[in-house]
Amino acid sequence: MPRRKATPAVTRPRTTHSQIAMVFDLNKCIGCQTCSVACKMLWTRDDDKRDGSDYMWWCSVNTMPGRGYPRDWEQMGGGYRDGRLQLGKRPTRDDFGGGWDFNYEEVFYGGKGTDAHLAPIGKEPTWGPNWDEDQGAGAWPNSYFFYLPRLCNHCTHPACVEACPTGAMYKRPEDGIVLRDESRCEGRQRCAKACPYKKIFFNHVRGISQQCIMCFPRLEQGVAPACARQCPGRLVFVGYLDDADGPIHQLVHKWQVALPLHPEYGTGPNVFYVPPLSPAPLNADGSPDDRRSRIPIQYLESLFGPKVSDALATLKAEMAKTKAGRKSKLMDLLTVYHWNDLFGPFTRDPATVKHAAMGRK
Amino acid sequence: MASRTTAPARTAREADGYREKWTWDSVAWATHCVDCYPGSCMYHIYLKDGKVAFEEVAGSAPKLFDDVPDKNPMGCQKGAAWSRTLYGEERVRHPLRRVGERGAGNWEQVSWDDALGDVAEHILDAIEQSGPETIVHEMTPAEGGTMSVWPTQRLLVNLLGGVATDVNAVINDFQPGHYITWGKFNPASGAGNEMRTKLRLIWHCNPVYTQIPNYHSVAEARYQGCEVVHIAPDAGPSSIHADYFYSVRPGTDAALALAMCRTIIEEHLFDERFVKEQTDLPLLVRLDTGRFLRESDVEEGGSDEQFYAWDLVKGGIARAPKSTLRWGKVTPALDGRRRMVPLADGTRVDVAPVFSVLRARLNRNYTPDQASKICGVNPGVIRSLARKVATRATAIYMGMNLCKYYHGDLMQRAMLLLLGLTGNWGRLGAGISSWSPGSGLEGQGLFSQKQRLGLAETRRVLVMRDQLQAMADAQGANSDSREIATIDAMVNATRAGLTGMVPPAFFWYYHCGYRERWNNKQWNDPQMRRTFDEYLTEAVESGWWNGVIKPDPAKPPRVLFEVGGNMLRRQRGGRSHLLKHLWPKLDLIVSVDWRMTTTGRFSDYVLPASQHYEKPNFHMASAALLELKFSDGAAEPEGESLSEWDIFRRLAQKIEDGAKARKLTEYTDSAGRVHRLENLYHQMTLGIGGVDELVDEWVKDTAEAGMLKRGQSLKTMRKKGRAEFTRVGESVYTLNQATDARPGKPYTSLQWHTEKRLPYPTLTRRAQFYIDHSWFLEAGEELPVHKDNPKMGGDHPFVMTSGHNRWSIHSMNITNRMLLQTHRGRPHLVMNTRDARRRRIEDGEEVRVFNDVGEFMVPVKLSPSVMPGQVICYNGWDPYQFRDWHGPMDVEPGMVKWLHFAGGYGHLRYWPIQWQPTPVDRAVRVDVQKLPV
Repeated sequence: MPRRKATPAVTRPRTTHSQIAMVFDLNKCIGCQTCSVACKMLWTRDDDKRDGSDYMWWCSVNTMPGRGYPRDWEQMGGGYRDGRLQLGKRPTRDDFGGGWDFNYEEVFYGGKGTDAHLAPIGKEPTWGPNWDEDQGAGAWPNSYFFYLPRLCNHCTHPACVEACPTGAMYKRPEDGIVLRDESRCEGRQRCAKACPYKKIFFNHVRGISQQCIMCFPRLEQGVAPACARQCPGRLVFVGYLDDADGPIHQLVHKWQVALPLHPEYGTGPNVFYVPPLSPAPLNADGSPDDRRSRIPIQYLESLFGPKVSDALATLKAEMAKTKAGRKSKLMDLLTVYHWNDLFGPFTRDPATVKHAAMGRK
Repeated sequence: MASRTTAPARTAREADGYREKWTWDSVAWATHCVDCYPGSCMYHIYLKDGKVAFEEVAGSAPKLFDDVPDKNPMGCQKGAAWSRTLYGEERVRHPLRRVGERGAGNWEQVSWDDALGDVAEHILDAIEQSGPETIVHEMTPAEGGTMSVWPTQRLLVNLLGGVATDVNAVINDFQPGHYITWGKFNPASGAGNEMRTKLRLIWHCNPVYTQIPNYHSVAEARYQGCEVVHIAPDAGPSSIHADYFYSVRPGTDAALALAMCRTIIEEHLFDERFVKEQTDLPLLVRLDTGRFLRESDVEEGGSDEQFYAWDLVKGGIARAPKSTLRWGKVTPALDGRRRMVPLADGTRVDVAPVFSVLRARLNRNYTPDQASKICGVNPGVIRSLARKVATRATAIYMGMNLCKYYHGDLMQRAMLLLLGLTGNWGRLGAGISSWSPGSGLEGQGLFSQKQRLGLAETRRVLVMRDQLQAMADAQGANSDSREIATIDAMVNATRAGLTGMVPPAFFWYYHCGYRERWNNKQWNDPQMRRTFDEYLTEAVESGWWNGVIKPDPAKPPRVLFEVGGNMLRRQRGGRSHLLKHLWPKLDLIVSVDWRMTTTGRFSDYVLPASQHYEKPNFHMASAALLELKFSDGAAEPEGESLSEWDIFRRLAQKIEDGAKARKLTEYTDSAGRVHRLENLYHQMTLGIGGVDELVDEWVKDTAEAGMLKRGQSLKTMRKKGRAEFTRVGESVYTLNQATDARPGKPYTSLQWHTEKRLPYPTLTRRAQFYIDHSWFLEAGEELPVHKDNPKMGGDHPFVMTSGHNRWSIHSMNITNRMLLQTHRGRPHLVMNTRDARRRRIEDGEEVRVFNDVGEFMVPVKLSPSVMPGQVICYNGWDPYQFRDWHGPMDVEPGMVKWLHFAGGYGHLRYWPIQWQPTPVDRAVRVDVQKLPV
């Protein structure tokens, strides 16, 4: 695969007419994993070992700071440096962890009294999709953490696509979704080395790689992706980034309160985050210090780039307005008075979808 | 840079696999449970090849108010993965009979006929040899719907005369402090209320874990100007989206609240009109006895329940009105000037308003500096927070945590005092969150009164009910309000044995081995003047609990039914304790459930119930939702599982057959009710067969009763999934909300009191902060005070707080394989990082947690958010997930607070799900030990 010269990060590829994007408002995320479960129920069922996708969580939510999923993914490399593709570490099956089987049968029916208890079978687990849940950092009472949902960023400059040696991976022209032709994938996993977000999984049964497909069969029917539509926190916006009237464009470009994760990776992610506020830290005498941030700003900058301070300042200024009884367009946008306003053109109720398979029984 | 495009043809071909995955044959309505309150999230299930392929939130909640975001989508990860429980390995698919010792884990599969025939014989033996009260249904919310508890109660309790242990004590959700103050525990927050709140205190609640479908309303209100403050020992999950987090030492919240009250009074920030009108703070107290000044004090033969204020206009005492909160021409005094009142016996006594007594005590004991030393919150913070509460619409997210502290009642009373002083209930944006069953499926209740099927019979029952209501109203003319008259009727019916529900405290004390523990002096409040037994004896001998002490102390229970319950997991005080004390007394233990629980594993029979998607069902409607939500039986029941209706009607037939063979036709229970066994099956069913017919009858009758629009039936529910209630109904729990719910208008509870000035159902007919019951005076708890947690479990360095987990509603989903992957797949103990390091304990390491009660082993999870000295073991793990099946329930002594046996005093009396002792589990003392390598 020949290296190509990177285009500047601001230019969208000519071939993409429109780009599907998402904004996650982290100030509403409660780490409940409903998005993760919604995704898993549809695409990577855990109950069929023969499918090989049982351990995968294409969408996952992690507590930050933390080692995340796969473990220590932020240290694995990939993406672009000075416009050049970087091949980093390929996360191993152990780095992902999870995919446990449990000894239900033995515990319930094995005649062992209370000698056997329900636990993962085999080797003692040491990692999983949400292993460091609610651990965070700092020290009580000024400890801190927040939740970060992650899925494939469907990047504008997808390193995985460039790295793919077989031409299996491509960026779909009509909506910018990054997909893989599984019949062409040979499982060489250069994509997983190239992806700096380490959201590409290896299917050990089928010998191919897999990742989030942005629920394209749903999008094609006008239905929002499962992670977004099932999110009880009402925090996932879906739509076209270049729809100037849409909330995503407003949050990313107009208000600039939604930022990409690790912009320095150079792939131009199309999943954006409204960065987390945090309670005022307490002084030694227990009084709050409104001037300082509980989550160190350097840490947030390391995640969301140098613009994070401005984004937080904008959020605080607009929140101060509503606290003073004034209106704020940004706050109205983030409040989301109508659930369906989250989903751009993808507001269809999936229960109304008719497809060829129906009625054949 | 790569931007590869591909021919559309190839896109289509390769993607077919994924498109094919997202297909289905049919769609049906579903909902899961109400147990996370208000719950009842609407889902669609997508069926393929006769199985549920997946489920997804329906997103069908209507937008009720223009300026309040709609409630969609309503759901959570448990709901999204429910079908993994439906088909999971924990699912029970066939009737199982124990082989060998109880709990050994050896089973034989038996036929329904054999199983139910044998169960029927045990029931008949118990009835004949010991009386029907030895048949106990441990009442729980079960599946959170209308299908499991109802048929169980109909057969075992109503028709046979068995005993149901009160669900609200069983699940420890009764809120004694609310009850002491308001005469009811359950005023819930209403729809559309949240956006009006300007200060939200998340205080003893972890909504980030426990209110997943509703948490968004906190975030939305915050964006619209509401300040969010989280108060808890640990900087846990619910602090992350707060504006401020203040750490309070476990169980010291009363000190914090009282210091805030002190600031509010001293700075004259209290709502004087509200205080005088809504509360007992203007009522006069005798300074010699500490008791309210009563009519019986000042008049020969006067009433014991007439109270007084000092009228500033007249310059003398004035009667406090009881049927209204309005004072009329009286201007009650709050100040503490010395005033003397002549008594009937000719002597004179000093009196003072409760307010002045309170003020003096707050000044003496609860200055912010004093309170800060107790609770650890900075005094300046206490003052500034108090000022905010006094000047903003304030709501407290209170949850179900406080009531699980030994002195939770005191903390609740102190927190309600804070709200009461500042006028923060009964108006939009203010108040507390609680839970309440409420308006519901009236047809289900009507079915109990019908003698034959059909609408003609329904109309007859309704006419009869109207006549009874008219009679009650006529009598109620003497009562102070319809709410109070209805509570009175409930109390009387309960004592006559007509509700079948009993407070389980006596069951635990007499039959489950709790007597010794509850008498342990070290684990109780040191201010108890007498032994626990002396108090209990006084309560029983005074007749305060007459009619509800069942099973009789002399007649141990013989048959135990668990229907969706899991006593060996949930019972505070332990699996080991029950196995030792209760299990040997039982001839038969039956678990009806769709999953294998620890209790099921220790039962004689495990009978497979069908699950949510396999039977038509409704989920308990609540005042906050105002709609009936339907769950369809769209999937074939797994294996041989049956709906609880089918199980209990078949059991009725077996009992009828068995009774005939024994020539047992009728018997009388201890309350004097005669039970006939011939025709038992018909009494149970009125001739209804399958569960569809039953549900159709319920819906049609509910419409006939005027709660739903005409024309509603199972068919319409099946199509639309939901139906709006046209009115909230007249159940006592709905009356307790004391509010008029009108479509399109946000509302909150307690508005009948604050707006219509209707009295509270308390002794004084006001929100009552002063309790002059002799036990309360003896305990120094006539007013809310702070008391230290007793050292329950012994003198050990760590305080174990707990709380509902994130991953399961109770234990329903705790073994769902998919959800087990969303954490570490096994129980854990959360411990402060530095505490652990000091003991050389590493993250993930298994430790021994122990105290004077028992021990359990558990892996540790380190967190800097946990307060030093605190450890957390979230509730819900099934004991069989722990090594040796010992879990936190094995170190909890399961203490109850002795004062909650008090009675013979106004509202301190039992009626279902209200005033009664409930065991506590928060802040048990433990030690944590590194295991030898």
